[in-house]
Amino acid sequence: MNTLTQSVKKFRRTPAFTGFVLFTIALVMNILMQGINSGTPLAFFKPAFYGSMLMTNAPFILTTMAQSLLLIVGLFDISIGIQLALVNVICIMVPQELGLPIWAGWLAAMGANLLVSAAFGACSSLLRLPAMLVGYAFTFIIKGVNVSIMSKPQGKVPKEVYLPYQTLIGGVLPVALLVIVAIFLMWLLIKRRPLGKHLYAVGGNPRNAYAAGISPVKVQMQANLLKGFIVGVGGICLTLMNASGNPLQAEDYGLRSLIACILGGMGFGGWGSMACGVFGASFFVLIQNAVYYFFSYLSKVITGFAVSTYWQNLVSDVILLLGLLVTIITAREQRKTLKEGLFNQFKGGEARVSR
Amino acid sequence: MIEMRDITKHYGAVQALKGASITIPAGKITALLGSNGSGKSTLVKVLAGLVSPNSGSILINGQPVVIRSGNDAQARGISTAFQDLSLLPMMTVSDNLLLGNEPRTPFGMVDREKSRQIVKDLMDRFKIRCSPQDYVQSLPSSTQSMLEIAKAVHRNPRVLLLDEATAALHMDEITVLFDILRDLRDQGLSIVFVTHRMHEVFELCDEAVILRGGETVKSGPVTEFTLDDLVYYMTGQRMAHHAPGQDVSETSRQGQAVLEVKNLSLPPRVKDVSMTAHAGEIIGIGGLEGQGQSDFMRAILGAKHKTGGSIRFLGEEVAFRQPAQAVKAGMGLISGERNREAMFPDRTIAENIFAGNAAVGPRFRFLPKKFVRKFSEDAVKTYRIKIGSLKDAASTLSGGNQQKLVIARWIAVGPKLLLLDDPTKGVDIHSRLEIHQILRESAQKGMAVIISASDMDELLEIAQRVYVFYEGRVSGVLQGDSMTQENMVSLMMGFTNEKADGLLMKSKEAQA
Ligand SMILES: Nc1ncnc2c1ncn2[C@@H]1O[C@H](COP(=O)(O)OP(=O)(O)OP(=O)(O)O)[C@@H](O)[C@H]1O
Ligand SMILES: [Mg+2]
Repeated sequence: MNTLTQSVKKFRRTPAFTGFVLFTIALVMNILMQGINSGTPLAFFKPAFYGSMLMTNAPFILTTMAQSLLLIVGLFDISIGIQLALVNVICIMVPQELGLPIWAGWLAAMGANLLVSAAFGACSSLLRLPAMLVGYAFTFIIKGVNVSIMSKPQGKVPKEVYLPYQTLIGGVLPVALLVIVAIFLMWLLIKRRPLGKHLYAVGGNPRNAYAAGISPVKVQMQANLLKGFIVGVGGICLTLMNASGNPLQAEDYGLRSLIACILGGMGFGGWGSMACGVFGASFFVLIQNAVYYFFSYLSKVITGFAVSTYWQNLVSDVILLLGLLVTIITAREQRKTLKEGLFNQFKGGEARVSR
Repeated sequence: MIEMRDITKHYGAVQALKGASITIPAGKITALLGSNGSGKSTLVKVLAGLVSPNSGSILINGQPVVIRSGNDAQARGISTAFQDLSLLPMMTVSDNLLLGNEPRTPFGMVDREKSRQIVKDLMDRFKIRCSPQDYVQSLPSSTQSMLEIAKAVHRNPRVLLLDEATAALHMDEITVLFDILRDLRDQGLSIVFVTHRMHEVFELCDEAVILRGGETVKSGPVTEFTLDDLVYYMTGQRMAHHAPGQDVSETSRQGQAVLEVKNLSLPPRVKDVSMTAHAGEIIGIGGLEGQGQSDFMRAILGAKHKTGGSIRFLGEEVAFRQPAQAVKAGMGLISGERNREAMFPDRTIAENIFAGNAAVGPRFRFLPKKFVRKFSEDAVKTYRIKIGSLKDAASTLSGGNQQKLVIARWIAVGPKLLLLDDPTKGVDIHSRLEIHQILRESAQKGMAVIISASDMDELLEIAQRVYVFYEGRVSGVLQGDSMTQENMVSLMMGFTNEKADGLLMKSKEAQA
């Protein structure tokens, strides 16, 4: 019991706590709205439902996780969205145009995206160009590449390849969830290695990390490659979900993943973790869902009520804004625990001196 | 043994080092001395791999080596505690101590059990009291300094460089540190010890190397120097002797009561403190680290909000909600934590000096460029701040010169009450005496000065009365004949009634 309250306290101090609060609120709202809308209170818990929701949103969640890695080392990449499309395009075109097996397409796509990530790392950490500018430039370059590989949406993925991705294992466990969990476990492993500490050190203050014998450029490069890998996985998920290619999709994931990270409690450099990304992205997704159900419920009970998607977006954006406010409040909570720490320390000092 | 020969380094027009040499023998503690801006930190950073020199050579045991990076330095067994600290404020104490040197399991993971043990041992050894899971940014500056040193020592170096490691430390912490350093020396480490506190040189060090203007002007065993010699080589002048505290006599106490604090509380750190400061007085606040001194000052200034008691400023009851109001009313604060509270590192030196003045005048008044420049030029001259150009960023100044800049800023504004929180941290002995003189003069002109310092000797030297804090209370007030080191130490330890024989007055009596 004591250890439980202790770990709750500890969790409240972590940056992911903000994201967790938001995520919980959004989850409850979503469950309620969907329950009301469909008439079955627990509609959310139907495997078919959460399965398809996870499947459609896995690419976005993975992208946000990748973005959070970059934020930890003090970088960010807004071309991360269009990189998903790059992976998608290559996955489709290599088998279709070159007649190679599907896995070769995936491999080529992964390789291409690692290359792009390395190039991004070279520009932003080696040449020290501002990440914002590099991301902006990369968006255009990658778009150009995408369109030159695939001029318009097209392509197919064989049924026997995409079906396994879209099924539920044992009728309850979506494969997309497994992918997300696998990547998250990978992060946990990294976090417990020295590299994990170095990522934070470099993001916190490159000069001080350097003084401790860590090479900031190398560590940022490693973060970029990891990000490239995760985005690659996300792009493959996207391909399996759509079972076709589109050179210009997902561009907005770039900015949205960044916002999701900040909502989840990350700072620019050395603060936050991948959990922030997961919570932030899920918050994003769940809120949009909840608002959708809310409006479709309204249109059911009020005859003649119809709302354009613009209004729906407006409402979900307002809620996102409110989410930012929550961020401020929970940050205050964190400050308070910091203060408590100081207080304890003072008491400790008292005990020590009077002995 | 390490030798650095004829090292030069320039930053644009500023010549930080011009032919500095130092020999660092094993099994000895070598003091590296010099005034602010003489190049000590630069020399240390060259050896730590953070600054690459323009010319010169480094020899380890007679073999020439090149140190290109922090990593190189580490590989050669050199580890450093930097003047401006190399800690990561958003990481925990434990992560900071182990950074770049984490114990690993056979699978390449961080060995948590071992980490915990190492960190616990280190913290016990250095008597650092905080949780290993605390974020460094939440710790007081003296604890951070201790961590910086502990981190350097943990790397099992053969050469240990300490750049003004004691500047923020209090008496008890210094005792702990010195014991550890002597131990390490006896184990055969080469230790370089940069400091501005001269008595530490005689207490701890074996050898001394003195820099002036980026050149080595003198080196030799400490026993061959007197204090006067050291200052002479550092400044090129013989020290003028001040009779401490004497020249401003008791008469000044007849000035108007500028500040009257009654039963001020700010739990948990300040409990029931009363104090009166008259115009023309210099009042000292002493005590071990974290006994409530700095919170007391911040409560006066309105940066922290008191929960009980009253503050009268210039005869009127006040309760400032923000420091800005206090500054408008005529207070100023000089903080030793320049990075956190006082500096705008990326703005120019001129702007930094002018910042105090800008804060008191009308917000939209016209500020001619010439006026700002003149103001800053005067300050640079008066306080002998060593700068390249007024237009350089303040972060290019050496540590001590940054501190002088902050002091210049406030004294030039001429507040009625000046609060100084460890203001001469990292300021060289000569400038420190100058600053003291300026404080005395300002006091004679009618300013009330309240100064806290981690260095006990400094307080005894400048203050007319010293309030010693212990556990948030004033454990006693020293003045006149009772201002001795022994009395101060016993009050710092909280022995309020020990030697009460008329020497130590309880704070209430002093008020009467
Ligand atoms: N990055 C930099 N850019 C420009 N000038 C610099 C830079 N670093 C140091 N200097 C200059 O080099 C000179 C020596 O600085 P250094 O920090 O070595 O002095 P120091 O002896 O450590 O002084 P202190 O006792 O005040 O710490 C100073 O005049 C300083 O202004
Ligand atoms: Mg220095």
